[in-house]
Amino acid sequence: MNLIREIWQSIVRRDPLTTDKGKSELVFLNVWLHIHPAKVKKENLRFKHSFYLGFITFFLFIILVTTGIALMCYYRPYPPQAYQDMKDLQFVVFMGPFLRNMHRWAAHGMVVCVFLHMCRVFYTGSYKKPRQFNWVVGVLLLLLTLGLSFTGYLLPWDQLAYWAITVGTNIGSYAPFVGAQVREILLGGHTVGEAALLRFYVLHVAVFPSFVILLTIVHFWRVRKDGGLSRPVWKLIPRRNEKLVTIGAPVETVALNVAAASKDKTYGLMEVVTGKPIFETVTPEEEEDTVFSYPYAFVREAVVLMATVTTIMMMSLFLNAPLEELANPAKTPNPAKAPWYFLGLQELVSHSALLGGVVAPTLMVLALIAIPYLDRNPSRRPADRKFILWTFTIFVVANLLLIVIGTFFRGPGWTMVPPWVHVVAGAE
Amino acid sequence: MNRRAFLSWGTAGVAALCSAVGVSMAAVARFMVPSVYYEPPQSFKIGNPADFPYGPPTFLADEKIFVFRDREKGFAVASAVCTHLGCTVAHFGSDQKFHCPCHGSVFGPDGAVLHGPAPRPLSWFEVTLARDGQLNIDKDKIVPSSYRLMV
Repeated sequence: MNLIREIWQSIVRRDPLTTDKGKSELVFLNVWLHIHPAKVKKENLRFKHSFYLGFITFFLFIILVTTGIALMCYYRPYPPQAYQDMKDLQFVVFMGPFLRNMHRWAAHGMVVCVFLHMCRVFYTGSYKKPRQFNWVVGVLLLLLTLGLSFTGYLLPWDQLAYWAITVGTNIGSYAPFVGAQVREILLGGHTVGEAALLRFYVLHVAVFPSFVILLTIVHFWRVRKDGGLSRPVWKLIPRRNEKLVTIGAPVETVALNVAAASKDKTYGLMEVVTGKPIFETVTPEEEEDTVFSYPYAFVREAVVLMATVTTIMMMSLFLNAPLEELANPAKTPNPAKAPWYFLGLQELVSHSALLGGVVAPTLMVLALIAIPYLDRNPSRRPADRKFILWTFTIFVVANLLLIVIGTFFRGPGWTMVPPWVHVVAGAE
Repeated sequence: MNRRAFLSWGTAGVAALCSAVGVSMAAVARFMVPSVYYEPPQSFKIGNPADFPYGPPTFLADEKIFVFRDREKGFAVASAVCTHLGCTVAHFGSDQKFHCPCHGSVFGPDGAVLHGPAPRPLSWFEVTLARDGQLNIDKDKIVPSSYRLMV
């Protein structure tokens, strides 16, 4: 028994979890958990502060990686075989449809959750100093999520895939100067063919996921280094000293009281530098409002993980991912539609390819990236930010409206057809 | 090493590093552009003139072209690729127009844009008679919509 205890101790290397020291050590002696702080603010754990959207997005990504690797075992990225492999996944492979459904619904869910997460961060003003750059990283992650969805869309090589990608990549070719070349490099040719399928596969399974993982690490690290989640909006109190100082910068006010160095402890450089840190810190008054990450934060994260996985599994049991007939370059389905999250874009493109397909989305992305640097208002309280909240709301509603029009109100020949009217496609 | 030597060697070093990185990036970009395209040829034969009926155009799906044959005027070949976003247009006998299913562009009998977001008229390709008596199409040779081959 002693040996077992010794082995266990050698693995966990911490005090029992019944002690505060053990609870802290669980976090900071563990490489997988050390991204958490030992203690978190109680208010930040409240569901109504973050709706756990960041965690849900991350867990969806985990589901996507897991199911994606499984699907890779039965998929060849080459035109006729790719579609045959989809049919195999649908009818032959054990649990094939279920895995493919999970992959598809988690992918759609990730697009939705990344977007909602961005809205939450915007409405709570959490992109403000010192978190400006993490917002930019978040926007890049949103673009990568869309890139992953778009490249994955081609892989089944059915009519839906083929025409969505034909339309999508042609939109890109309207970009001035480089559009045609970028399209050629992306497709490895001039039309969506076998070279395009292989390149989209490489982007989908290797390039984009690597960047997502890298940026996610940066994103999480910065959340931690910026002092955890932003304070809930309802906890904001006007503070006397709002000014934050970069470490090492000259301080006009009195230097921090640094305790005399003890002979029993080694000190890192960070501990003896004076000045207030640039990130949010927990003041002694707030210390009472904190709880240990273990178990309070971990239990919530585990519940969110289980809820996310369960939801996706339930959806995958009852809703099947579509698979149309084999891609046919000669026959365009009527109407031919891009993936739903690009239908707002396609709606704009139906009016003008250059303005709607290139200028508008480029400006949208640049505006999103610039938000934390253009918004000079230091206050995070909604009452102080009415104008920008309304502007963002109009932006979100306009996007959703375009997507709804493109999805439900566009029929054959891209004419306005309400969803309750049935049109026989292909009829002259 | 004195200050002058340090600065000149330093500048040379940085310049060498930058050019090495630049050349490498250019090589990577060039690597991504295929040297050979395994795509269908732009110039190809479609068969004997007698294979094509008079009246409504014949649609060749693989080549994405419409072959028109008129008793008085002869042969003409139109592209079936919409100039907006590359969808394949359909030719309706009822109104003699080309209709794009993706964004509702409509092209007139001569390929001119009548309606919708298409930026350019449909292309017409050169059609010639090859030595073996077959019709030859060259997609790289764009001709005016009035071009006809009398056989």
